[in-house]
Amino acid sequence: MGLLSLLIFLPLITAVFVVAAPKQNQVRWIALIGTGLHLALTALTTFKYLTEALAGTSSSDLLTKLFLVEKFDWFSSLGIQYLLGVDGISMAMVILTSIIIFTGVLASWNVENRVKEFFALLLVLVTGVFGVFLSFDLFLFFMFYEVAVLPMYLLIGVWGTGPKEYSAMKLTLMLMIGSAFILVGILALYYTAGAGTGHYSFELNQLAQFKFPQVIQTWVFPIIFIGFGILGALYPFHTWSPDGHASAPTAVSMLHAGVLMKLGGYGALRVAVYLLPEGAKEWGLFFMALTTINILYGAFGAIKQKDLKFFTAYSSVSHCGVVLFGVATLNLMGFKGAILQMFSHGIMTGLFFALIGMVYGRTHTRQIPEMGGLAKVMPWLSVCFYIAGLASLGLPGFSGFIAEAHVFMGGFFGNPWSAALPGRIMTILAAMSIVVTAVYVLRGLGKVFLGPLQDTHHAHLTDATFTEKLTTGILISTMAVVGIYPQWLIELIGTSIYPILNRLH
Amino acid sequence: MRLMAPEIVLILTALLILIVDFVFLRANKKYLLWLALTGLTGATCFLFLDWGLVSTTLGGRFATDTISSWFKFVFLLATFLTLSFSSNSFESQKKPLTHRGEFLFVMLLTLVVMMFLISSRDLVSLYVSLELATIPLFGLTAWERTEKSSEAGFKYLAIGALGSGFLLYGMGLLYGITGQTDLNLLSSGLAFGGMMPGGVVSEGIAGNPATWFALGLVMAGLGFKLTLFPFHMWAPDAYDGAPTVVTAYLSVASKATGLALAFLFLFQIFSVQLASMNTIIAIFATATMTLGNFAAIKQTNLKRLMAYSSISQAGYLFMGFLGRDQMSVQAMVYYMLVYVVTNLALFSILTLHIQESGNEEVKGLSGFSRTNPLYAFALMLALFGLAGIPPLSGFVGKFFLFSVAAKHGLYWLVFVAAINSTVSLYYYLRLVRQMYIEDPTPSSKALAKQPLMVFGLTVATAASILIGLVPQVYESIGLAAQSWVGLLGR
Repeated sequence: MGLLSLLIFLPLITAVFVVAAPKQNQVRWIALIGTGLHLALTALTTFKYLTEALAGTSSSDLLTKLFLVEKFDWFSSLGIQYLLGVDGISMAMVILTSIIIFTGVLASWNVENRVKEFFALLLVLVTGVFGVFLSFDLFLFFMFYEVAVLPMYLLIGVWGTGPKEYSAMKLTLMLMIGSAFILVGILALYYTAGAGTGHYSFELNQLAQFKFPQVIQTWVFPIIFIGFGILGALYPFHTWSPDGHASAPTAVSMLHAGVLMKLGGYGALRVAVYLLPEGAKEWGLFFMALTTINILYGAFGAIKQKDLKFFTAYSSVSHCGVVLFGVATLNLMGFKGAILQMFSHGIMTGLFFALIGMVYGRTHTRQIPEMGGLAKVMPWLSVCFYIAGLASLGLPGFSGFIAEAHVFMGGFFGNPWSAALPGRIMTILAAMSIVVTAVYVLRGLGKVFLGPLQDTHHAHLTDATFTEKLTTGILISTMAVVGIYPQWLIELIGTSIYPILNRLH
Repeated sequence: MRLMAPEIVLILTALLILIVDFVFLRANKKYLLWLALTGLTGATCFLFLDWGLVSTTLGGRFATDTISSWFKFVFLLATFLTLSFSSNSFESQKKPLTHRGEFLFVMLLTLVVMMFLISSRDLVSLYVSLELATIPLFGLTAWERTEKSSEAGFKYLAIGALGSGFLLYGMGLLYGITGQTDLNLLSSGLAFGGMMPGGVVSEGIAGNPATWFALGLVMAGLGFKLTLFPFHMWAPDAYDGAPTVVTAYLSVASKATGLALAFLFLFQIFSVQLASMNTIIAIFATATMTLGNFAAIKQTNLKRLMAYSSISQAGYLFMGFLGRDQMSVQAMVYYMLVYVVTNLALFSILTLHIQESGNEEVKGLSGFSRTNPLYAFALMLALFGLAGIPPLSGFVGKFFLFSVAAKHGLYWLVFVAAINSTVSLYYYLRLVRQMYIEDPTPSSKALAKQPLMVFGLTVATAASILIGLVPQVYESIGLAAQSWVGLLGR
């Protein structure tokens, strides 16, 4: 088993151990050890990737290359392969996922109900996510994609709160409709390219060699983009997201907003834009417009929310809009920004949801008006909340600033093939969301943590425990590392964007 | 005779069961089942011995080839798995089924005739096999002798007879047009004109309205067997009224027989006409899967729900007829295999559950994961397999079927089918929800773990996972399909 296979299947192996655990209280430790090992393995992979990538001699050689490739035939009569590889973009995403699942396990330390099943499903879900980021065969990619989506139903349905069954069903069905779109798109690309070259293959880089005819470019691009967009909470297909996030248990919200929604942006960039550059040029402005609505709608939606989770969910819609906006700009700055934003929002929103879970575990309410003055009783959590909030409104020094700056610069630069003005107007509109974000973040947090204590029962609550401090500490330091010294991440992903970019020119 | 060895073994086993049952009236009947399973195993061994042998006997009326071997294997597997959990219904404390000896006898005979059917190369033997494979199913449906069961049996009989009538009329026309009963001669007669009994050469038969009329009648007959819209209405009632074991058998065996019949008619006889029928097939497939899935949403009875689910599966399966090349044959046979193991894994649990709780409602499953965690997990896997969720073989099978449609440029159909899968996920998830999210009712309790049934369930579940991950099954069906399609073109 190669390194990448191990990276994908380690969570699954851990899940098997979790199920086989003789005692309930061992489950958490097994999950923690498994994800901890995974974190170490990710570090090792990053190291190997960097040495291999930097050892690559000429820069042109670097552009198309995948690293640590594992490849063998699977359903050979259809040209389906088991093909794993890693490039800068997927490496960044794997690092993100590995951090989120590790902290996610820490954040669900006090899950009591059906512990085994909970951690097992969580780990199965992450297996799917790693699979998506590391597979470069579209069949395999699609397979892992569905594996990542489905456990969500049970995770929300069993361990969720509020109208959990409704939310779980809505989320699952909408995401499955998204994958129906993707399936049609993938099959269309497979047969068109196969008929054109005489060589049928689902291999991503193989398909990218083929220049798809205009009619395919025009019609398949929006199909695939919308398919992934549904998972990326593209307006008007985002409606599953607030319900789903609000009902999900803490770790699931973290994973879902932090990682799973990133699969949407990742797929849109990796499959839709990479394979269908001409279609992307035609539809670029249209999707920029949609995502502008996304950004503003999410931000304005968040102002009105009374429930902390809905509040964060709408803010996620807004921030994931920035990811798709970056993808739709179709230039280097925009792409870089989109990936940075995926990473930064993943960490940030993970922190947000973890904190909400911690506060909710104490106050047993998520209603903003019912809380107030909590900073006096739980200073650690309040400070963390403020850090997350400030990062979310793009304060320099945290990762969000770097990402949004890149995206909006990309949007403003525009492209040689489209008029600059509409893109610039949309960029200005979208950038205004930062102000709106400041409004809702500062107002919301102010109500919860500052001022006099609203509820006298809250006076006896405790501050963060050790595990909670560890969780928040890891996430905040990651955010700060990216914010203060983003260069490592930019260089990690930098060269891997060029293959996608070169197809556009 | 060598070619018929599996069939002969089964006939002998069936007769032996009948005699033993009759002679040892008072004895423990458990061993009858073991006798039947031994017979099935023996037949399977003989099948493997001459696996994929291309040969004919009885003056060309009985033929074996690569695809017929696969079909026979699927039939044998379906019967084996069904019998493995049938003992639950016979030995249950609550309202057990009666007449085990006759039941096994009838089951085995049905199986034999299904195997004859796929080997028939003549209209007459084909029709006789079909009738012989259908009539015992009417009896099996009414096995419980309650009002509901009898009514279901009668409905099935009446509508089944109508379907057979259509088919017979179509066959009569075919004979009238070409003067042939041999399938290969019929096919070339329809394609190039043929020699009439009076020595008159008929011309331009391919475009003859009578040919199309015959095709229409045959399609209607196939529709009844495969439960295609609008010929599906018997299925929910028959599935609902039949004893659950029989429902399981109906849902796989009857469908597999329908597929075998459709292979013979559409690929062998109407091979030329099939090329221009893609729109019709797409419409049939769309209507069937859409109706099945949307009707299933509303069902509260487990057996009716599974009936509509199996109708929708027939819709997916029918997409395979969009092409007449290796790929579509391969995709359909593969999906048939996947469907048989997945559906039987599901039914083995449902049979036990319904038998013991007496509750056929979806709500009866509430809290199933608490009372029976392993069964609930296996049931969930089977449901996800039917919905086409990776990494189960249901996903791979559907993907290959959808590729057939995509290959012929029918992307809208792929989209419709994929959306349909999403709809089906809705009602499958309703069961999952009952099992995992709802709390158990006071009356629900742990079900017995009967070794044979657990064995069958393990085999079916393992198969439903493995044949999607291990490519060898799909590739070897591909080789079989390749050689079979090669024979067709000859």
